[in-house]
Order: sequence, then structure tokens, then C-alpha cells
Amino acid sequence: MFAGPIQELVDELGRLPGVGPRSAQRIAFYVLEADRDSALRLAQAIVEVKDRIRLCERCFNVAETELCTICSDPRRDRTIICVVEDPRDIVAVERTREFHGTYHVLGGALSPIDGVGPEQLRVRPLLVRLGVEGVAEVILCTNPNLEGEATAMYLARLLLPIGVKVTRIASGLPVGGDLEYADELTLGRALEGRREVNG
Amino acid sequence: MNETVILRLSLRDFRNFDTVDFYPSQDGLTVIQGENGAGKSSLLEAVVYVSTLQSFRGAPREAIVRQGAIEANVRCDVLAGKRKVETEISILLGRRDRAWHNGQRVPGVRGLLEVLRTTLFTPDDLVLVKGAPSGRRDFVDDVLTRSHPRLGADRSALDRVLRHRNALLRQLGGRLDSEAATTLDIWDDRLAQIGERLARSRSELVEALSPYAAEAFSILASQAGSFKMRYVSSWEGALSDALAVARHEDLRRATTTVGPQRDDVEIEAGGLDARTRLSQGRQRCVALSLRLSSHRLMTNVTGAAPVLLLDDAFSELDEATARALVGELPDGQAFLTTAGELPPGASPKLVVRLVDGKLKQ
Ligand SMILES: [Zn+2]
Repeated sequence: MFAGPIQELVDELGRLPGVGPRSAQRIAFYVLEADRDSALRLAQAIVEVKDRIRLCERCFNVAETELCTICSDPRRDRTIICVVEDPRDIVAVERTREFHGTYHVLGGALSPIDGVGPEQLRVRPLLVRLGVEGVAEVILCTNPNLEGEATAMYLARLLLPIGVKVTRIASGLPVGGDLEYADELTLGRALEGRREVNG
Repeated sequence: MNETVILRLSLRDFRNFDTVDFYPSQDGLTVIQGENGAGKSSLLEAVVYVSTLQSFRGAPREAIVRQGAIEANVRCDVLAGKRKVETEISILLGRRDRAWHNGQRVPGVRGLLEVLRTTLFTPDDLVLVKGAPSGRRDFVDDVLTRSHPRLGADRSALDRVLRHRNALLRQLGGRLDSEAATTLDIWDDRLAQIGERLARSRSELVEALSPYAAEAFSILASQAGSFKMRYVSSWEGALSDALAVARHEDLRRATTTVGPQRDDVEIEAGGLDARTRLSQGRQRCVALSLRLSSHRLMTNVTGAAPVLLLDDAFSELDEATARALVGELPDGQAFLTTAGELPPGASPKLVVRLVDGKLKQ
């Protein structure tokens, strides 16, 4: 145990994903020994993110205004929507420079173990968008793991009766992997080689 | 033929060992003698850990790291074909295990299995024959994972899809509206796809093991008659159809009543069901035959004989069976732990004694 404020910082840091107790201590002491300005910049950056960043009202990407930079870009093709699990997946797809449509962030994947069913995902807003935005194609770009595949199959069943073209990114991505970690060449090829889903 | 050879095994803060450094004989039998509780099995446990990142005794990591320490290390130098690989494992409490080959991080267990494979015999193997079907399924899946890692991955996928489906069934509480039915359909699809593939792989593997096991059994148990083993599926036809038929029952019981998690391996020796009708002595022969069959299959599939680990494997055998097993042991490097005498007919290349956590030649 350390003096009150240090222990508090260690505890808070230890709650962060991927930060074990040892790393939490190391970071806390780094902050303690850093000059005041750089420590305050870190604190301020955290406050800014919480105060200024919200979710895009259309696609649920991270945004600073009602619409994210992609949804507010008039050059993006609004007839084609790429459905992803997480805003970080948008970054991965954008890195490929292969996609010029818009996105829809589900906020996860079907996972009954974690109590996540269709109601916990942003499925309904997607259906609403299909109704009003004149969408011609939906690309299912969920992770190539068990939960991602199940989510893609679920969406395909929901979307096909509507009459929209539904495609799934090609296999070739490492099975069980995360899009976030796929390199842009592989992901680019998977996007290009996407296949139409039928029934 | 190619062999896998352990050149050196070093442990630090593993189980009760402070440090121990061990150079076994590079071929033939190395015997580790010691009182019960001296830690003989821990040495073999460390070898298996280097290959699978798991304790064959089912021990949690907290039990593996020596009391008072926070990290256990195993170093194992392996000659795999012509290549010398220094394998290092770090078991640090509160973290995932990490592994290195010649200083390079090994990302997963598959990489470890490529370098070091083992075949383990223990007196507990009797459970394979006498016990519940789950033990036999685990045995088959274990051999599958080692011999065909890609197919073996279906086992962990099956476990996960079942956890999802059973969680969903519990959440539904016996009620199924059309929206819930769509979600359940999705998990049924995944289960059917993964389950059928796994059942097919298992069935083919059992068929491939069968002649090896039959041959071993005929040598270990003289005049015991014919030997048969076959994979028995818990459903007929397409798994998707079987799931549809079972849906009502599954909803009521909030669990999945059909699928590869209900399958079994049926073994018959001399026309008798091995699980229920054989004497215990014969059942031990069947268990040994299963292990030998997996060893021979692995040798053929991978082109390299696994390292044999005999953990107190002779203690419960009658003399005739022990003698037959010694004669039947495949070539290559083998380790034997024992609290007592050497098995009859054994001619070890090296005998070490384990006393107070130290090895003495
Ligand atoms: Zn947006």
C-alpha cells in the first residue's frame, strides 16, 4: 500500500484493460515523477475525451458533433453501409483505403454468455437507416470469430427479406481473429472479395 | 526415423522445486526414483507443460508456482529433428503464460506442440475405459489437437458455441417467440456446422487408432480375443435436423441434449463391452492400448515419435502385463517415475534418485 493519492491512482490505472498491477505501479510513479505540465496534459486529455466526444447520431462512430467526420463528408457513398462491431474496426477498414461508403457500428456482437442479444446491439437503428437512406448494399464486416459470424448470419436473415443486397467480407482473414489487428492488405482483399449472402 | 529428444530440463520455483537441472539419457529409458511426494510427477508435469501450457494433473497455476514465489520457469532444450530448440516458459501469477523458442516469443500452444509432443501414461488412465464418456471424448480430442491442430480447434469452438446456446436457452426460460427463434436458429446453425465437422474428425480418428490399439491389446492381454473400437454419435442424419427435433426438450431443460458433447467411443474386447464387462486387469490393458495407439498414430502423422512419459505407469500392472508393456515400448526417449522397483525386464540407460528436491545420479 502507498500513500492515499498514489494508491488511488494505482487502483484506477489497474482497472484499465491490459494494465496489470505491476504496470499500474510503474505508470503511477512515472506520473508522480513527471513534470506538472505533462501530467496535467494527460489529465486534460482524459477530461476532453469524456466531455467532447460522443457517438454519431447516424452511425454510432465516435464524433465531436452530431455527425462523425465520415457521415458529414459529402463524398462518401451513402448507398453502401459497412456494418462493424466497434468504432476501432472503422479505423481498420479506413486504413485499407478500399471503402468509400458509410458505416454502422453495432456496439458488439451477439454473445449470450455475456447477455448480449439483438436488443443490446444497434440493430433497430440500422433497419431505420435502410428505410430512409436509399441503401443498396450492406457489407457485414463483423469479426471472423464465432460471435462475429453468428452476428453476420443473424443480420443477413433480417436484411434479406427487405430486398437489400447483403455481402460478407471474404474469408482469408485469420479465423478467430479481430479486424482491429488484421493488416490493411489482408483486410482490403477481404473487402474486395466480399460475397453476396443468399438466404 | 526422426525423434524428439529432450536434452535438458531446468525448473525454477516449479511446484516444490527451488531449482533443478536435469540431463536425461538421450535415448532409451531414464528412470526417476523417489519416495511418494518427492516430486517425481512434477518433473513430468513440467515436460507436459512445456508442450501444452497445461498441467496433466489438472492443477491451477497457483498450485504450480512454488509457494512464496510469484513466477515459475521451465526451460527445456529439445532436439526436434535436426533443430535444437531452447524452449522457455514463464508462469507468472496474474498473467498469461509466456513461451519462447530460442529467445523468440511463441504466440500460442500450437507452436509449442510443433516442437515437443509427449505421450503420457498414468495409472489414472483406467478412467478412460471405466469412466464416463467425457474422458474418452477428451482423449480423442486431445489426440486430434496434437495430430491435426486445425481440426482440433473445433473442440474449443464447440465448447464455446454450447456455452452460448445454453446461456440463450436459460435466458429464454422455456418461451420462444419468433424473434428469439431467429436467434436460436443462428446458434443451431453454428453448432450444426462445427459439431458435424468435429464428429466426422473424431470418427475418422477413432478408425485410424483402432488397428494400432487392437495390435497393442493382442500383445498386452494374451488370448483376450478380438478388439474393436468405434465412435458412436448421439444422433442420426443431419445435426441441424436433430437439433430441430430436440428443440422443445432443449427449451424445457435449458440445455443442449444432442450433439458431439453427448457422443462416446465404444470399445469391445473379446466380444465384451470394455467399460462394463471386462476385469480391471483387462481394462488396464485397454487403457494402455489406447495410449500406445495414440503414440503410434502421432509418430506416423507427424513423422517424429513423441517423448514417452510413464508416470508410475507400472505400479498397478500384474507382472505379465508389465513385462509385455516393457517389450512393447516404442523406441525413442522415455521417462519413467517409480517409488519402488524397476519393472520386470526393463533396462534403463539412466537411473536418478529424487531426494529432498535434488536429483542424484
Ligand atoms: Zn457517422
